Amino acid sequence: MNDIILRTTNLGKHYKNRWAAQDINLEVHRGDVFGFLGPNGAGKSTSIRMILSLIKPTTGSVQLFGHDLAAEREKALMNVAGIVEKPDFYLYLSAFRNMQIAGSLTLGRTPDKKKVMETLQVVGLAERALDKVKTFSHGMKQRLGIAQALLCDPQLIMLDEPTNGLDPQGMKEVRELILRLSTERGITVFLSSHLLNEVEQVATRMAIINKGKMIVQGSVADLLKANANKVLVHAEPVKKAVSTLTAMKNVSGVTVTEEGIIARIEPKFAPAAVKGLVEAKCKVFSVQPRHSLEEYFLEKTGASEP
Amino acid sequence: MFNLISWELFKTYAKWRTYIGFIAVGVLLPVIMWIMWIEGGKFIQYQLRTLQSEFLITGNLFNGWVIAQIIMNGLWVHVPSLIALVAGDQLSGEATAGTFRLTLIRPVSRTRILNAKYIATLIYTASLVIFIAALSLGLGQWIFGTGDLIAVDPREGIVILAEENLLMHFLFAYLLAIWSMFVVASLAFFISALVENAIGPIIITMTVLAIFYVITFLPVESVEDIKPWLFTTHMNVWQQALRDPMDWDIIRDSVLILGAYSASFWAATLFLFRRKDILS
Repeated sequence: MNDIILRTTNLGKHYKNRWAAQDINLEVHRGDVFGFLGPNGAGKSTSIRMILSLIKPTTGSVQLFGHDLAAEREKALMNVAGIVEKPDFYLYLSAFRNMQIAGSLTLGRTPDKKKVMETLQVVGLAERALDKVKTFSHGMKQRLGIAQALLCDPQLIMLDEPTNGLDPQGMKEVRELILRLSTERGITVFLSSHLLNEVEQVATRMAIINKGKMIVQGSVADLLKANANKVLVHAEPVKKAVSTLTAMKNVSGVTVTEEGIIARIEPKFAPAAVKGLVEAKCKVFSVQPRHSLEEYFLEKTGASEP
Repeated sequence: MFNLISWELFKTYAKWRTYIGFIAVGVLLPVIMWIMWIEGGKFIQYQLRTLQSEFLITGNLFNGWVIAQIIMNGLWVHVPSLIALVAGDQLSGEATAGTFRLTLIRPVSRTRILNAKYIATLIYTASLVIFIAALSLGLGQWIFGTGDLIAVDPREGIVILAEENLLMHFLFAYLLAIWSMFVVASLAFFISALVENAIGPIIITMTVLAIFYVITFLPVESVEDIKPWLFTTHMNVWQQALRDPMDWDIIRDSVLILGAYSASFWAATLFLFRRKDILS
């Protein structure tokens, strides 16, 4: 069995005078929680829309479960579900009817009531099954969207900014749900986000896209290895602190930035480094571990903020 | 496919706007009949005043059949807007609501989804005409009773259709009316694929109809050659069913031209829809 369940090759979309996405080459393995990271307007949604056949690519191809999307659309999408941007529904119908409609499009027949209710139960909406969706909050709609995605037991779920507009509790619930889908049901999750900590907390592999182009792709652990053990030091006088840290055996990569002094120090040597600074008569205000993914992201995208 | 069509019908008939046409007809027809009940005697006397000087006319000539015919003549300008109200919302409504992002990522082809929507639109169109037919004939017969129908045939002059054959004549007339309204539904459906708001298709459909009607009835020689090819020229083909004998050549030509328009609008919609990027 092919372990790569989603592969895009030179995927691109051109609008009038600009490329919304260009040369996107993704590889998503079975079982991945794949983070698709990029600033707003980077081309994440365009790429996802092309993968889910909402947008016709200008260049390249998409393969899902070994089937070419352009040539075998129905086979390619048979085991795929997704939520693009925000989940929208037939607001004048109940959650139950919305589930039935979505299910019938995948199955070719109306899904049975028991299965629909069980799936609504998973996302905690069983009691509101017969209520019209127009009475639902944004968080409930998000959960209903996930229920629709889960209804037909997909092997790959594509979630485009799934926590957008949710409160912290809602975001946490979605993150936990994603992890449960991956660990308990073995579902591969493709997750796009501009929120770094969201991806860092759940993703096993990731890709970064910026200005329509893919910058990097790989396992989260491997990609962050290069940036491991970085700390931000606030100490004065800065010159003296830099020279002291540079002279230390277990400290490397000492640079001065607008934020403060950045240095690479293994956690076990951090107390010794602080002691050295104090002994050198430096005032040490703080030593903070750098948010490694954020550092990596900023380095790759060259953006001031994601 | 049956499953898709049944869900499209469910969605169509679950919307409020679908019933606006039925409510409008359900209110308007009884009002027209009430007015006819009060004023109708004078109306029919006026219509028959020349005949009465030459012939002895007996029986109930102001009957339910006459009322149904008058209503059909009168309503035919308004029914297209009621059809456009629903047909024009079929694709643009989903684009506006964002539900294409829900349906078009599923493993079912866009062609099948579009065809299911189109068939649901045609079924709605037929159901509205059938509702008009049932209300016109049922209420008309109940209030005004039955009798022969006096119809005006441009070739034969005044034609009297015997009561015993009228049901078949009217059923055929409504069948032809459904066929002609399919063109309006197809036009609105096509425009619905072009725009992403609910009101646009209605306005554009009615504008196109108005322009075509103006050309159809314009007494100008330079447009005479194109008139036979305009669908509006053939929209009143149902009137041919109230002739005796019927002119089958005219009916055949009209049915073919109307069918060609419906098929063309459907094909154009399919062409657009299959290539449409869903950006909303």
